[in-house]
Parts: sequence; C-alpha cells; structure tokens
Amino acid sequence: MILFRFSKTDGAEFIAHLDILRHIGRTMRRAGIKVAFSQGFNPHMLIYLSAPMGIGIKSYAEYCIVDTDEEPNSFIEKFNEFSPMGFTCLGAWKTDKKVGVASDIVKAEYFVTGINDFDEKKILLRDEFIIEKKGEEKNVRHLIYSIEKKDNGISCVIGFANGIRIEKFVETLVKEFGGGEITAVKTRGLTEDGNDFENSLR
Amino acid sequence: MKESILKRVEKPSRYVGGEYGVRKKSKADFNYCICFPDVYEVGMSNLSIRIVEEVISRVDGAVCDRCFAPWDDLGKELKKEGELLTSLDLKMPLKDFDMVGFTLQYEMSFTTILYMLDLAGIPLKREERGEDYPIIQAGGPCAVNPEPLADFIDLFVIGDGEDSMRELTELKLKLKGVSKSRFLIEASKIQGVYVPSLVEVKYKENGLIEGFSIKEPIKKALCADLDKAPFPPSQAVANCESVFDRAVIEVMRGCYRGCRFCQAGFIYRPVRARGVKTLTEQACSLIKNTGFDEVGLNSLSTGDYPNLKELIKELKENLPEDVSLALPSLRLDSFDGEFVQETRKSSLTFAPEAGTQRLRDVINKDITEEDVERGLNMAFDNGYTGIKLYFMFGLPTETDEDIIGICNIVDKIRKIYSANPQRARRLRISVSASTFIPKPFTPFQWERQIGEEEVSRKVELLRSRLFHKNTYLSWNDFALSQMEAVIARGDRKIGKVLQKAYEKGCYLDGWTDKFNPTLWNEAFLETGVDKEFYTRELGEDEILPWDFIDIFVDKKFLLNERKKAYSATVTGSCKSGCKGCGIQKVYGCNL
Repeated sequence: MILFRFSKTDGAEFIAHLDILRHIGRTMRRAGIKVAFSQGFNPHMLIYLSAPMGIGIKSYAEYCIVDTDEEPNSFIEKFNEFSPMGFTCLGAWKTDKKVGVASDIVKAEYFVTGINDFDEKKILLRDEFIIEKKGEEKNVRHLIYSIEKKDNGISCVIGFANGIRIEKFVETLVKEFGGGEITAVKTRGLTEDGNDFENSLR
Repeated sequence: MKESILKRVEKPSRYVGGEYGVRKKSKADFNYCICFPDVYEVGMSNLSIRIVEEVISRVDGAVCDRCFAPWDDLGKELKKEGELLTSLDLKMPLKDFDMVGFTLQYEMSFTTILYMLDLAGIPLKREERGEDYPIIQAGGPCAVNPEPLADFIDLFVIGDGEDSMRELTELKLKLKGVSKSRFLIEASKIQGVYVPSLVEVKYKENGLIEGFSIKEPIKKALCADLDKAPFPPSQAVANCESVFDRAVIEVMRGCYRGCRFCQAGFIYRPVRARGVKTLTEQACSLIKNTGFDEVGLNSLSTGDYPNLKELIKELKENLPEDVSLALPSLRLDSFDGEFVQETRKSSLTFAPEAGTQRLRDVINKDITEEDVERGLNMAFDNGYTGIKLYFMFGLPTETDEDIIGICNIVDKIRKIYSANPQRARRLRISVSASTFIPKPFTPFQWERQIGEEEVSRKVELLRSRLFHKNTYLSWNDFALSQMEAVIARGDRKIGKVLQKAYEKGCYLDGWTDKFNPTLWNEAFLETGVDKEFYTRELGEDEILPWDFIDIFVDKKFLLNERKKAYSATVTGSCKSGCKGCGIQKVYGCNL
C-alpha cells in the first residue's frame, strides 16, 4: 500500500470530497497504476482519503492511501503526470499497516491571512472560545492548541474533523477583531500528540 | 471571478475550469466561445460542443473556449458584484470574443440563452448590438426551427457543424476587420448558414405566414463521411460528477426507423455510421486520455448499428478489461442478451410509446408484442428486476383503449416475469408518461397538442387502473410540455414572449423546480401572443414558420406519412428498402 500526501490548490480546493476520490481513481487509471479492487457486487478501487474539509480551503496536507504495489518514487512521478490541475503529490511512502488517514489526523495547522491584528496570546489565556453551531453556542477552547503570528498572518493549530472547522474559527475571530478578504490554507495534518501525521510512519 | 464569490455558491467546481484533458488555450486571431445554455454537469456530458471545439481548434489562428450557464445563485452574485460572465478556460468576458455560439439542444433552454447574454453584458436583441459586440451564433437540433430566436441570434448553423463551423471560422479569419453586416452576407453563402436579418417574413392579418423574402430555401449542412469527420481524441473530465460520467463515441448519426413523432429521426437523415475501426480507435484514445471506466455507444438507435456484434467484440478486445460499455438507446427488438451483461444496472428502460399495436402502427413504432416478450425474457434471464417504460399521451388518433392498453402491457410484463419461478425478487415497473409534442419536420408537425383537461383525464384513467404495489406511474408537467410545443413550432413572434418571460425571471426552465408557468402565462398575456395558436392543428396548406429551411426530406413525403398514420399503416425501417423521403436525391444512402 502507498500512503501519499498531496496538495489541492489552483481551483482544486473547490472540488468536493467524493469528486476528489473519483479524480484520484481516474488518475490511477490514466497513469497505469494498478490498484486492488474491493470484493463484492460493485467492485471499486481501494482508495482511502483523509477526512473532508470545507470547500474552498487550499491545502498542502491531504493524505490518501491507495492499495497498490507501485514504488513510492515512481508513484509520485506518475501521479503528477496524470493528475488534474491543482492536485500535486508531495510525498509517498510504502506502508503495510492500515494507517488511519481519516481517524488519526485529529489536529491541523493552518496559515490564515486577512484578520485584523489581535493579541493571539490572550485568546489562549481565555477559558472560553465560543462558536455558533447550528444556532447553538459551543465552547471549543479545548480544540485550539496554538496561535502564532507568522509573516503577514497567523499560524494556528486547531482540532480537525472533531467539532471545530477552520471557517468557523476564522469567522469568529473576524467577528471580534474585524478583517478583510480572508485566506486560509491547511499546512499540516497532526496526530493526537501534536506530531506531523506522516512522521508516525517513519 | 472573485474567490469570495466562489465560496458563497453551490458546487463551485463547476466554475473553475482546469479539468484534466482540457485543451491548453491562448488568445488567437479568431476567438470563439461555445456556450451550453444549461449548467456545467449537463453541458459537460454533451458531445456536440466537444465536436465544435475540435473543429474550430483545428483551424490555424482560431481558439474555442467554453461557457456553461451559472446556477441562479452565481447569476445573482455576478449581478450583485457587477461582474461579467466569463469563459471557463481563458476567463475572458464573453463580450470580448469574436463570436459566441449557443447549442440548441432543447427548446426550454432558450430563455437561458438570454440569461447568459444578460450576465455577459451583451444586449439581447441583435438589432441593439453594434460592431463592438461579438457575433452571436446558434446551432444544434432545435435550430431547424430557428424562428423563435430570430430576434436574438445573428447567425444560425442548421445541420451538421463539422464543415459549416470550419468554413465559418475560416471566413471570419479571412475577413478580419470587415463590418458585421458584410461578414453576415458572406457567411450566408455557406451551406447551412441562416442569417435572420437577411430574411424577411411577411405575416397575414390572421397571424399566418404569407411568405418569405428568399426564393431558395436554406439548405442544412451535411457531413457526409463520419469516418473522416473531426472527432476529439480526448475529452475534459468534469470537475464534479456530470450526468453521464463516461467516454462517449458517436456510433451513428441518424436513424433508420422514422417514428412519426420523432424529430431527430427526420432532421438527422441520412443515417451515417462510423466504421468499427474508427470507433475502436476513438474509444481506446478516450479511455486512455480520460481514465473513465465506461464507454457510451451513442446514437439514436444503437441496436440498429449494422456491425454491432463486431464492434462490441473489437471494443472488448482492445479496451482495458474493466471498462464497461453503455448502450443507452437499445430498442426492445434489437435487445440481445450478450449486450445486457455489459451493464451493471438493475433496471432497464424501454419505450413502447403507445399502449396498443394499432397506435404503435400509427406512429410507425415498428415493434411487436413478440419482440417485446423476447427482449424482456432475455433481460429477466440476465437478472434484471426493474423495468422502466416510456409512453406518450395525446398521440394522433389516440382513444381510451390505447391508454388502457398501457395497463395490459404492464400486466403482460408481470406474467412474463413470473412465468419463471426462479425469478424470485419482486419486479418493479415504472411507467413514465409524457404529453405528445408535435415537432417541425415530422409527419406529425401539423398535429394539435392536447389540452390540460384531456391530459388530466388520461392520467386519471391510467392511474385508477394501474394499481399494483410495485408499479409506479409518473407523468410530465403539462405546462412544461405545452411551452415546449409552443416554442418548437413557434414563429418570430415567440421572440417577444421569450424576452418578456426572461425579464420576469424565467430561465433554467428545463429544471422543474425553476419552471414557473404563472410567469410564462403573464408573458403571453402581456405580449398579446396566444398559446393556443401554436398548439392547434395546423392546416396542410399553411406556410409553416420553418418552411424556408430544407432538411432534404420532402414535405410531400411527410404529408403522405401523416396520411398513412391515420390508416395505421406502418412504413417501416429504411433497412427494409428506401422509402423515398427525399434525402436519397442529395445523398446516396448506403443501405
């Protein structure tokens, strides 16, 4: 099996999760990468994607497992030759255990620009960070792990696919501090202990 | 387009372009944009716009971009933000192109053309567009009666686009810099080109047509040899799931059958088939370049393709093992067990169109109960447990007996199914009925369309008898069918109605949840146009709005076919001998 990391930029960030799965399948077919199929009445390629993100968020840290015998280096080369615009394979590793691409990534790092200047340390000193979710108010302070100023924006680590979404997080900050045209880019996927997900494989 | 807009609309991947397999483009001497007046997912499944792109791109100095109709959320955002509709690849405003073409696939997309022009900042009426605006062109099957759009379109291409679009492109490159009116005059000499500003229509006081200002009819363009015709070696893979996510080859153009209600069966004459070798090469190339796992064998009646068995054998041998074949338009009588296994679907669709043999004879749907029985048995033996049946209400000479006949067919299918006890699962039958729409260039072009009350009565007649747990009846919205009939047989006066309807908010009318009959009715009232005038029975001696167009099928032939319909006489397929429709005079049909 191959685990690989890919980016989605240049328009690919607007493609929905299920469509991404289809595009990866077709990329495999075009590239001639042999992928194992599921058994059963409607066989499909064994491809596993990390948990979905909000549409329109660029990312450099999407992960995917493909059940294939292809070597990592040739996988990267072939993938990038045959993938649609905006999907670039940034690294690939052989893995024999079934890594939880969807379940093990519980935190993510984002780089955000466009929020007016604010004191990020004070946010971390608060007991509460309230976001609105389906009309209800919810304290998600425990899902905010770090916020740092970086270049012309902020770099933050918040929970991933477990009750907080980067869009909501940013929206709440903008509500409090103001802001202009916002950009948010996912830069890393992290495991529970705060390490880069792909490090857990090495 | 601003990214912030994309984040606010549904399915933004429709609007970003950059699909795998899309042609690399840059601005050229002649910039053309092909527009599909419906959303991305529908348009991306359409083959004709891909052919147009291929034809134009092959001409040196020309580029062909694409544009699809934005869903109404994006349409509203563009208006609000003061942004103009742009093409998908070059991201260039439509109004900066030299020519903008619309494909006319169904009548109910006409208001969407106005919507797209409006979003592009292009005046709707051709008379209001000066030299600064692109030439607005249209083509496709509905262009055989171009008159409802005559106020808005500068130039129509009637018939096949392969040669006509190439000639048009070459002419525009040659005449770079000449005035629009001069170009249109020159363009009108190309076979298949119709320029409304050069043809005057005189109307009588009673609304009927007195005559046209041209003596010679406009002949449709015809691509004689499909094997030599340009065909794209690849196709762009849609960013989001489209209605048909597969590679598509065009096996044949035209149909041998001549069903009397079917416009495609007449306007696409003569039948032209591609060779097995060409088709196999095209299919392999598409699969290699797209990564699809399915190839659609498209035509009006793929079961009639002369070498179907050989084609399927060649495709199986040359395509990757796991690529399946889709045969979307098989007739019951050409249904063959070995094709069925190719599809993984559990439900099969057939279109008997009418409930009795008599009425099927009237419409020249040359299919018998024995054919149906044989085809169904084969399907059931192959594990199919669902059947979808298509019928029409309001065909000429229809009586209640014909409606009740639909129930008899359903009962018979159940009997055929249960005759074999090994078929354990319950059979699911869906009956889908639509209202007959008389279309130009068919033997039924003179027929009236039945009214709302008649349709309701027929639906009730069927519904009350079609009582079975696993039988489902659905029928088309009458108002939509009526509007389609009015536009299909419309004259130039319908243009006013289209514009009024658009101004009231009618567009994307093919989507049932967007279609608003109240607004359409207001549009008719306010423009003083009477719907009934267009749904009535037309006189055989009337000059019809599309009579100045020559599709090479004689009017006399159509009249004779109409007569035969009334005596329930079948004409049969072209394969059983030439029926002398007229096309044989300009094109030697290869039979």
